[in-house]
Amino acid sequence: MSLGRRAFLQFVGGAIGGTLLTPIPWKLADDSAIWTQNWSWRPSPQRGEITRVRSVCQLCPGGCGITARLVNGRRAVAVTGNEAHAVSGGGLCPVGASSLQYLYAPYRIQQPLKQTGSRGDLKGFKPVSWAEALKEVTAKLTQLRSGGKPHTVACLTGQKRSTVTRLWKHFLTAYGSPNFYTMPDAADSVRLAVALTTGMDAEPGFQWDKASYVLNFGAPLLEGWGSPVYLQQVFARWQTEKPGVPRTGLVHVESRASLTASKAHRWIACNPGTEAALALGIAHVLVRDKLYDAAFVAEKVFGFEDWIDPTGAQRKGFKNVVLAKYGLEDVSKTTGVAPQVIQDLARELAKQKHALVVWGQDKADKPNNLYHDLAFLGLNALLGALSPSGTVALVPHDPWPDFPEPVLDTDAYRGAGQTALGRPSAVPRTKAPVNSVMPFLEALASGSEYPVELLFVHEANPVYSLPEAALAAQALQKAGMVVSFSSYMDETTQWADLVLPNHTALERLDDVVGLPGAPYAYYAVSSPILKPLYDTKNTGDVLLGLAASVGGGVAESLPWKTYEDVLKLRVEAIAKAGSGLVPSADSFDPASVRPGNILKPNFKDAADLWNKLKGGACWVDAPAAVTFATPSERYELACQGLLASVSATAADDLFMPRFHPLKPSGEESEYPLLLITYSSLMLSEGYVPNTPFMNKLLPDDLLKKQDVFVDIHPQTARSVGLTDKAAAVLKTPRGEARVRVRVTAAVKPGVVAVPQGFGHTAYDEYVQQKGFNANSLIEVQLDPVTGLGTVWATRAQLRRA
Amino acid sequence: MSGSAHSEHAESKVRYGMVIDLDKCTGCGACSVACQQENNVSFRPDESDKLRTLSWMTLYRLENGADWPDYRAAMLPRPCMHCDSPHHSPCTFVCPVNATIRDEHTGIVDHVAVRCIGCRYCMVACPYHARSFNWWDPKWPKSMEAMLTPEVSPRMRGVVEKCTFCHHRLNLARDRARLNGEDPDGVVYTPACAEVCPTGAITFGNLKDPNSDVAKLAKDPRAFRILEKLHTEPKVYYLSSAQWIRRQSDNGL
Repeated sequence: MSLGRRAFLQFVGGAIGGTLLTPIPWKLADDSAIWTQNWSWRPSPQRGEITRVRSVCQLCPGGCGITARLVNGRRAVAVTGNEAHAVSGGGLCPVGASSLQYLYAPYRIQQPLKQTGSRGDLKGFKPVSWAEALKEVTAKLTQLRSGGKPHTVACLTGQKRSTVTRLWKHFLTAYGSPNFYTMPDAADSVRLAVALTTGMDAEPGFQWDKASYVLNFGAPLLEGWGSPVYLQQVFARWQTEKPGVPRTGLVHVESRASLTASKAHRWIACNPGTEAALALGIAHVLVRDKLYDAAFVAEKVFGFEDWIDPTGAQRKGFKNVVLAKYGLEDVSKTTGVAPQVIQDLARELAKQKHALVVWGQDKADKPNNLYHDLAFLGLNALLGALSPSGTVALVPHDPWPDFPEPVLDTDAYRGAGQTALGRPSAVPRTKAPVNSVMPFLEALASGSEYPVELLFVHEANPVYSLPEAALAAQALQKAGMVVSFSSYMDETTQWADLVLPNHTALERLDDVVGLPGAPYAYYAVSSPILKPLYDTKNTGDVLLGLAASVGGGVAESLPWKTYEDVLKLRVEAIAKAGSGLVPSADSFDPASVRPGNILKPNFKDAADLWNKLKGGACWVDAPAAVTFATPSERYELACQGLLASVSATAADDLFMPRFHPLKPSGEESEYPLLLITYSSLMLSEGYVPNTPFMNKLLPDDLLKKQDVFVDIHPQTARSVGLTDKAAAVLKTPRGEARVRVRVTAAVKPGVVAVPQGFGHTAYDEYVQQKGFNANSLIEVQLDPVTGLGTVWATRAQLRRA
Repeated sequence: MSGSAHSEHAESKVRYGMVIDLDKCTGCGACSVACQQENNVSFRPDESDKLRTLSWMTLYRLENGADWPDYRAAMLPRPCMHCDSPHHSPCTFVCPVNATIRDEHTGIVDHVAVRCIGCRYCMVACPYHARSFNWWDPKWPKSMEAMLTPEVSPRMRGVVEKCTFCHHRLNLARDRARLNGEDPDGVVYTPACAEVCPTGAITFGNLKDPNSDVAKLAKDPRAFRILEKLHTEPKVYYLSSAQWIRRQSDNGL
């Protein structure tokens, strides 16, 4: 039988029709859909009982309350805010909200490691047991101490607000080394300025909720400065209309149209780094037109009028200096702000009942020029903001008595006689400690003075995040032995000889002392949300163990069994002081906290307070009323404490606030542009890198594949022949990088704005190979008085790639 | 508020909606991070190709177009608008397999990933670019699989996904209400983005409850919606006192 064309078509048609009448095609489509949706590699999260644990975030000094959500008590699946927390409410920043991605990061270090190859060789790291690793460190510590070289042991920590920092310092003092350093911080210079002018070791606490008008010189209040969530909530309160209450006005001074500038009620655009000059120009108008708080200045300020120094020499006071040196025309030329604007600003400021002047830079991770800190503080003093009815409080950096005095044995005395490595001799002696980390690293890298035989690096990643990052790498290579306590295989840990991994922030018991920028004392305990995932140890406990095995005065000075005992000691000290309370989010009114008006405790005893704090709450207290413990017993506009630092024949203005920009290196002809850095809450630039969650936030005109965009004005773009999105080479006297440009009117012509937080080389594929590290391009300038490493602008050139 | 005139649907007393105060929003991105964590949104080493990335809550930068020093910028977080236009939202109208449907009891536009055939008609139809397509199978670093939440299934290659107003949180809240013997309809719950927002810029609630914050704010003189001219009737409102921001609401993003 032959199959004709017609019969064939009939058969095919019939077959198709017939099949369609059966469920076969639908069943197959359904099955294939199900099949393609159930690949074995697509994870199915395990179900179970959901529980919540409250704690306090440790990832920045912000001290926010967190709530972790766990499945079966073992698997943490979410970290959210804690709405019962009085300071952060339920809010979090992107870093805190993605903190689980640090806990579960593939780049975690899972057990102690020892470098068996040459330094920096990732393959050379071999797992060792804790006993073995600790034995090695103890042997080195004992050998150096008995060899009379305890001062050659140094510690650099990035943790600034935890008791473990105090423990490190205590350990080194008892051991006999003056070489204890923290990563650079704005508080380094502010504490010195406060100590010089008021005689107190404190940080300025700003009464945000009392202020009716805030004049902000450069601090990115909404982009990570201070305690980010706390400040965002302050800002939200400013933005909320309340019947009968006038809104707090925010005036922001900065060269770049940052988000803070855009969100402020008024933005004063100035030339980069000239904020202090503007402050002095405003002071000029206040003095000239007699608009300052005359009563406060007359009674409580020293050095406003001419004064006589202890040698009997007649010195010009602030009044005459500011009138002579900061005329409106001069200040206008420096800052680029019109004279009329400066005058109006000063008058507006003087009109306010509760004016507040704040200042800062980036994420408060860079010290400022001492004279500039003095200028902003001085402006507050002129406005009477430091008077009892004012808006600035002085909050002690650490409000509780120190640990018991360390026991110094003969070995310790031998080391304690040594000066800290690289410490400049001119540093003013005040109650505030000097964190001369940059001179230390420079002396270490250059090999001048004495060598460092053993360097501990704790919760810090200086090889990446130190301004002028290359210096940290050079210094590390000169150190005899480097021990890292990092939880992550970061750029610095790669150079270590031994790694003693710490628990991550979410796995350990730790605490937060103080809230940067807040007008009250703060304390919180951060408790672990789950059992440690790996074979890691809390550095606090490791340190106590090391002290015990070194023995002698060190063991005597650190007698505690566990780090928990140390924290409990802290809580006992608070409970014993008998002031301050554990506030609840609904009843706590931050505006009610007034200096000198201590809060009545709402806890029974130390055990009760400990339990409340372990449950994720915090403790706050009003600071003492502002007092002045200076030689003149007043606020010293002319700082007599500087007499020993500047020469006796120094000009009169060297004792007081002044605009003193340090000249960036490089010739203007070669480097015609000014490079400034900026920070953002979407970018983590410190000890921890960006999480994958955070990378999703970054717009594609900031990061595109491996290219990071720098911002330039259209006029700058024309002058260097670049168009939007063009590839370019950005070069400074410190280094160069391949970049792309975003042409935007957000920056001033002649300025290149560079984001911080890119350019990691360590960690994993989610972090690596994204742009360049701003820290490799910027120039650090050592403040001639304090020796602190300041950063304001770097000369730069941009050319087509 | 529209959505009440659906002749074929019984009138519901619940319309969940959101108000985002752009005067308070600082563009920090915590909302988006919390959203990714809450909903198991997957990520890749390179997230800079915005046509391929998965994002339920996207931040857009708005600029006023002026030159320095008059330049200003603001950030605008954009979840799904859960359009309440009569009969259909733009996306539900085109979906051939009923994978995306609007729950007329709550007004929430849901997307059922296992029903989705990946045709992406909805992505084309959505004027807000609120939908993303899974171009790849989701892949987490091995150690991070432990942080996947069981409350929302991870999606798979070849399907679309988008903001659900944290629908699973609504279901939990409804369960709780039932257990407490309360009326499950109109329960108050908070999506992850609103919960985490540090400035409290995001308000969420029942637009039909005249006493709710969200209903009051939606009638604020500062309130506006994006692309209102399309009559998509978004249930996400924005607040801004800046004219230059309000002016951009009709011009697309």
